[in-house]
Amino acid sequence: MEKIKQNPIVKKLGLNRIILVGILILMFIVFRVALGSKFPVAESITSTLNYVYFLGFLSLGVTFVIATGGIDFSIGPVMFCCALMSGYCLNSYHVPLVASMIISILIGTAFGIFNGWLVAYMSVPAFIVSMASMNIAKGMASVFTKTQSVSWPLASDPTNGWFRSIVSVNGFPVGLVIFLVAAVICGIILYNTKPGRYILCLGSNREAVRLSGVNTKKWEMLAYVICGTLVGIASLFFVAAYTTVQPGYGDQYNNEAIAGCVMGGTSMVGGLASIGGTVIGVAIISLLQQGIMAFGLGKGQQMIITGIIVIVAVYADVSARRRKN
Amino acid sequence: MGEVILTMKEIDKSFPGVHALDHVNFEVRRGEVHALMGENGAGKSTLMKVLTGIYKKDSGTITYEGKETEFHSTREAQDAGVVIVHQELNMVGDLTVAQNIFIGREPKKGFRIDDKKMIEDSKALFDELHIDINPKEKMSDLTVGKQQMCEIAKAISHKAKVIIFDEPSAALTEKEIADLFTIIRDLREKQLGIVYISHRMDEIKTITDRVTVMRDGGYVGTLITKDSTKEDIINMMVGRVIYEDPKTHSMVAPDAPVVLKVENLNAGKMVQDVSFELRKGEILGFSGLMGAGRTETARALFGADPKQSGKVSIMGKDGQLHEVQINSPQDAVKAGIGYLSEDRRRYGVVVQKSIIENSTLATMEEFTSGPFINKAKEKKVTQKYIEELATKTPTADQLVVNLSGGNQQKVVIAKWLIRDCDILIFDEPTRGIDVGAKNEIYKLMSRLAAEGKSIIMISSEMTEVLRMSDRVIVMCEGKKTGEIDISEATQENIMDKATRNID
Repeated sequence: MEKIKQNPIVKKLGLNRIILVGILILMFIVFRVALGSKFPVAESITSTLNYVYFLGFLSLGVTFVIATGGIDFSIGPVMFCCALMSGYCLNSYHVPLVASMIISILIGTAFGIFNGWLVAYMSVPAFIVSMASMNIAKGMASVFTKTQSVSWPLASDPTNGWFRSIVSVNGFPVGLVIFLVAAVICGIILYNTKPGRYILCLGSNREAVRLSGVNTKKWEMLAYVICGTLVGIASLFFVAAYTTVQPGYGDQYNNEAIAGCVMGGTSMVGGLASIGGTVIGVAIISLLQQGIMAFGLGKGQQMIITGIIVIVAVYADVSARRRKN
Repeated sequence: MGEVILTMKEIDKSFPGVHALDHVNFEVRRGEVHALMGENGAGKSTLMKVLTGIYKKDSGTITYEGKETEFHSTREAQDAGVVIVHQELNMVGDLTVAQNIFIGREPKKGFRIDDKKMIEDSKALFDELHIDINPKEKMSDLTVGKQQMCEIAKAISHKAKVIIFDEPSAALTEKEIADLFTIIRDLREKQLGIVYISHRMDEIKTITDRVTVMRDGGYVGTLITKDSTKEDIINMMVGRVIYEDPKTHSMVAPDAPVVLKVENLNAGKMVQDVSFELRKGEILGFSGLMGAGRTETARALFGADPKQSGKVSIMGKDGQLHEVQINSPQDAVKAGIGYLSEDRRRYGVVVQKSIIENSTLATMEEFTSGPFINKAKEKKVTQKYIEELATKTPTADQLVVNLSGGNQQKVVIAKWLIRDCDILIFDEPTRGIDVGAKNEIYKLMSRLAAEGKSIIMISSEMTEVLRMSDRVIVMCEGKKTGEIDISEATQENIMDKATRNID
């Protein structure tokens, strides 16, 4: 075991990540063999992928927040709020499509600013802040849309249907390209820029960073803002795949996104974050969901399994830390 | 002195990287006060923690009342009659004296706590010890000395046969110490075995019957107090370790300019009207007892805690003093002040990050072009400081958690040197650092001062204060009570000023 750990290639990639990729491939093979043509559920891999990009963006976003040692339980409902309010603008106020898309991202960013300000500057615990803003997001969307569900244009829509090309064009997975580019940018921010360095360090020991003369509040808030923006982007990929959004929902995606993030090796205690891990983690969660569906099981079973994954992943992280100390 | 009640033989204990106890022997007789002495880090507290079940020994035997024993928790030790009175008091401030004494074993009347019995029992306990404390009083309303008496009463109430006092006098006034000694003599009369850990030589001579000396985790020897001199004991404590003599005169040039002037600094109860000046190239020692307000003064000056009032001026590029507003560590760092906390792991370093990341933390602007970090430059500069400060590490990428205390301290020093701070505040610079590394830190501080950095050094170790400082400021209960040039400073006149405010 020690010998494997010392291997330069393993060291570079990280043993955990290699194991995760192994799990991913293994799961795919198992599902494929067990289910045959029933897996994946949709007609092709590309169309299956269309349904998971949004989750990837949510996971990327929440990775920044968890890196600071915080948590955000509002990402799912905020994503719905973005999609509902901007979609309502598009349909009922005839706001141009591109403007509506921008509004979506801005609403997500606004929630990020709100959450980040409360957590960083007002010292309200992140748990409470995000629970509260989850309710606010749901409520705002309900009031704005008069509790009506909102449908985004179908691909057949002559003027606005083109927006679905953000997920795929003629079977080419445009969404995958955008997602991977976003992941690379997130990775660069986190590991190669000053804000990322501060976010990771303050997540590990806020007081020591503050006493080094760093404005920790500003950088902590920034993590929430980045998260919010990515949630806004996630909302576009959600509607591009699922078309219709209903007010009052979205919570179930919190856990899925957080599960992807922690499974990838981002520590819930803060200070350690892996963007590559998050990408693989999300892939595993999505694959698992597809598998569960292909077995003919429902949303309920999916939620149970996601819940268990979160607990197992966090437990693994905590016990690894305990061993180290 | 009666028969032996407790024997510890060949006790050995290692922590990762430290051989904390190296085959230590120790015994206590009934009716004796046995001093345990040694420099900080000699292993006294570790030995007592092994005895009372906080740490598990690696090898060796403990014989208590004729039977080989091993306690697995303080609770077990307590039940057997071995009780420790800690340096830091373990009292719940919001509870009454009686509630604290009987915490966890309150007398019951049916399902309810029998308050009346608890108070009566406490009274009886205090009478026995000739202590005058009202059991109904809230613990937080008592002075530190009185709280200590309560700890002792609590220990007695466990039917203690062996009581360990871990530096009981550190925070007490002279009168309180006298009272404490009366109690200890009384306990000796009652044939209890008493272990007395202290640094204060005169106390050892006054109260103890025998002295066991430890050094660097090893057992040095045991002396009969009345047959030995102060010098005997000191020689045993110091042993082969070379201690440089105290500074005899200030190393600061007489015309060295003032670089920092603090006037009437106020921050809560712990910092009242503190004023002082720091000169270029000076090491200004801050001495005082625990809780004198030295760390609080440093933190308020550095902007880490809010202050109510006070004027801070710092020498600018033009050589003149300019008033600066310091409301956050950010402001302080901008003004050229670096703070090295007494609690490095909490406030000094980010232990889960690398030496590089820690070293450049205060100076990121220097290592970025646009938003991007220039990692090659980071590595080069960090490497340079690793060499310059002789930090022991295989690579600059090493996580700080894997470094020893002394090397962690060097990483913090590197952080402020890279930032090019002119004023450095060292808060207990050698706490938790072993003897060899201590000397290195001292040399480094002297070198920095010689190179023109100005240093404020808060220290609770008298030898450290006398060896390093050019001038000593003494604080007591939040006030500055003295300022002594090193040529006139002695342990006695510093201690006198450090206890001046009390009572």
